Formats: sequence, structure tokens, C-alpha cells
Amino acid sequence: MDSQQSNNSVQDIFDSSLNLEETHFKEGYDEGYNHGLTTGKEEARQVGLKLGFETGEELGFYKGCVDVWNSAIRVDPTRFSTRVQKGIKQMEELIEKYPVMDPENESIQEIMEALRLKFRVIRAALGVKLEYDGHPKPKDIEF
Amino acid sequence: MEFLEEANYQLKEIQTLEGHTDRVWSLAWNSSTGRDGVPPLLASCSGDKTVRIWERNLSSRSWDCKAVLDETHTRTVRSCAWSPSGKLLATASFDATTAIWENIGGDYECVSTLEGHENEVKSVAWNASGSLLATCSRDKSVWIWEAMPGNEFECVSVLQGHAQDVKMVQWHPTMDVLFSCSYDNTIKVWWAEDVDSDNWQCVQTIGESNNGHSSTVWALSFNAEGDKMVSCSDDLTLKIWEADITRMQSGDGYAPWRHMCTLSGYHDRTIFSVHWSREGIIASGAADDAVRLFVESKDALIDGPSYKMLLKKEKAHDMDVNSVQWSPGERPLLASTSDDGTIKIWELASTL
Repeated sequence: MDSQQSNNSVQDIFDSSLNLEETHFKEGYDEGYNHGLTTGKEEARQVGLKLGFETGEELGFYKGCVDVWNSAIRVDPTRFSTRVQKGIKQMEELIEKYPVMDPENESIQEIMEALRLKFRVIRAALGVKLEYDGHPKPKDIEF
Repeated sequence: MEFLEEANYQLKEIQTLEGHTDRVWSLAWNSSTGRDGVPPLLASCSGDKTVRIWERNLSSRSWDCKAVLDETHTRTVRSCAWSPSGKLLATASFDATTAIWENIGGDYECVSTLEGHENEVKSVAWNASGSLLATCSRDKSVWIWEAMPGNEFECVSVLQGHAQDVKMVQWHPTMDVLFSCSYDNTIKVWWAEDVDSDNWQCVQTIGESNNGHSSTVWALSFNAEGDKMVSCSDDLTLKIWEADITRMQSGDGYAPWRHMCTLSGYHDRTIFSVHWSREGIIASGAADDAVRLFVESKDALIDGPSYKMLLKKEKAHDMDVNSVQWSPGERPLLASTSDDGTIKIWELASTL
């Protein structure tokens, strides 16, 4: 009689009942992980699309303004002060600098805010009532 | 400077100027008037969206309202400032714009409107030469504008750095250094080493760790020499600061401001305004409706001069005192504005 073999099979039977908690935990974990992976990916895709669209739209708006202003400057360079022309150049550089292919780049927030500010200054200097409507404005609380 | 003895002085009320239909926030004396036979002029601004120009009649010695600047700002006018030449008046409003006015043939006309701030503009100030204008707002930014020919104003720089609402901007009396104070409890100093480069930077932040205020800083003012500065705060103290400006004026780079002393225990409500007269008297206006005067103390301590309260005018107004301003020129008068809708003109007189 092979006592070692019978001992092993006895051990196996007990092993599976002893590890029941562990097995179930692992099963649940795997289920949750896979579910999260699928839904997370889908949600991220939606968020990415939305953010990408918004960013692209805003950048495009500024690029459009810069292009129009540059055309105007070419027609009559004297109508725009040196400061405004410098500002438009700086806006152009910022748009160029924006890392469209690298959404995880740390400077995207900084560049966008600098662009928005430059736009406000140039708009004020030119005296035009131009507004980028796509950007949602936080509700102003007034005291 | 003569050292004044306590209990020998009083603030005598000369006149109460009524007319505004809402709280009066601030006022500005026109420094090109009040001498050489020109009657003194002052401008006041109010929650009633208007600015009033007051002139003292040279014969009757009483103040009359000469003009009401209305139908321009669509919200409260929070601050006003005359250009050093006295020709232009800048008015800052909650409607997010700053208007520039000029007296053309007896009528004040709005000759320019400065837009750019996202929300309420809280303060406006001209530099000593009148070439630059600074504005600040609840949008946390400070804007510097250059006065160009034809009353055109160009934005030179937008300064960001404050974490909260910026309450006041003030230029140094002799150098093109800009100071701003904020709800974020700090005072920031802005300087462009090369003015033509438009490269304004924050060269110093005076916060709690530098013996700064522990709550909103509402205002600041410089002494006549420009080597000392006083700031007032919601933390109920006045703080005196000093800097080695001769070093800076000689082109030796930026000289930082250091804490000299703190005046505490004199105010029990927020101090909204502080102004240092050319004679060295510091006036404060607070939320307890009182006006207080402080002077340098004769009993100098080892660590340097200290300050003491010269007098306290209780119930100077019926409500919060929003602004105090000494008139320019010799034998200055003190003007105060209040939530009670009035402006009061005071004279510092000896009781002896």
C-alpha cells in the first residue's frame, strides 16, 4: 500500500476546502478587475474624446483669431501697436508649443491659461467684443 | 519732524459732504489744486455708481459738489485716483471696467474705458510720473497700463500671483515699484528691472512668515520719504515696514521690505484704510466707525522707533469708515468716507 500517495490525496481534499476563502476572494477580485477594466476603458474613451474635442476647439479658435489678426497686420501694419503685435506673436508661439499629442504633459494647463490671458489682453487692446463661448464659465458667486 | 504730544490734539469736523445715495467707498484729493489760488478739489466714489467732484469755495470756505459723473459705470464705483498732473481721473468699478475722465470745458467726460478684468475692479493707482496706471480685481490679478498719447491706455502686463481677491494697489512715491495687498493675507511687490521690456515680476511677497498679517490686508500707504510703509488689516493691526530705498534708487537692485513694528491692541474691528501724511501722521479708518491717528513715539526703543496713538475719534461716522485720506499741501485736512453715505472733512487742531 502506498501510504504516501494516500496521504497526498487526503491533503489535496482538505487543501481545497481550507483555501475556499482565498479562492473565492481571488475569483471575485478577478471578476471585479476585468469589469473595471472594460467599463473604465470605455469611460476614459468618452472623457478623452470630450476633453480632446474641447481642447482642440479652443486651440483652433485662438489659431483662427491669430490668423485673422496676422492678415490684418499684413494689410496695414501701422494700425496695430508694437505691443499688440508682440502679443499676437506670443500667442502664436504658445499655440505652437501646446503638446496636442501628449495629453499627460504637465504644461498643458499652464499653456492654455497663458493663451486665455493673452487673448483677453489683445482683445481689450483691440477693443473687440470677441468671446470664446465654448469654455464653460464657473457660476460667479457675488457678495 | 516735530514729535506730537498725546492728548493735546483733536480732530475738528469742518464739514459733512452729503449727496451720494449709497455708501461712499473712497476719495481722492487732486494734488494739483489747493494752492496758488486754485481751490482744492476732491473726488469721491460710491455704491450709487457715481463719482462726485467737490470743490472748496475760496471765499465761503465751504465745499460744494461741482459735478456728478454718472451714466457710465453700471455698478458700484469702488476707487478713484487723480493723475499726478491733476488732469485725469481714473475710476475703478465693480462693473469690471476702469474709466478715465478728463475735464473738458468744465464738464467731465469719459475719454477712455479700460477693460480686461474678469470681475469687480477694486482699486486703481497712478505711478509718480503718471505714465503708468495699475488696477486690481477680485479676479486675483493686477494689470499695469501705460498711458499713451491721445488718452489711449495699453495693457503692459497682467500680474498673477495672489491667491485671492486683490484689495488695493499702490505705487511707491518715487520709484516705479508696485505694491498690492490681498484677501490672501499678503502684500506683493512688483518690479520691472528694465521698464521697457514690460517684464514685471513679483520680487517680494510679504506674508505671515515675514511677520506679515494673519488676515486680509486692506490697504497700505507710504511716508513722504518713501522709505517706510504702513499696512492695515482685518487682523486688527497696523504694521510698519522699511526698506533701504537709497540702495535701490542708486540702481543697486531690489531692496526688500522688512518688518519694523506692529501696532496691535488699538483696533477691535477691521481696519479698512490707512494713510500716511507728509507730516508723518498715520490715519486709520475702521469698521468701528472711528478714525485714529498715530505718530512716531519720542521714546525710541533700542530696536528702532515705535509708534503711539495720538488720538481716537469715536463715532467719526455713523457706520464703517471705508477710507481716510490726508489732503496734499501744507496744513493738511483729513477726509473720511463711510458706509453712512457721507464724506467728512476734518482739521487736526491743538486743544491748547
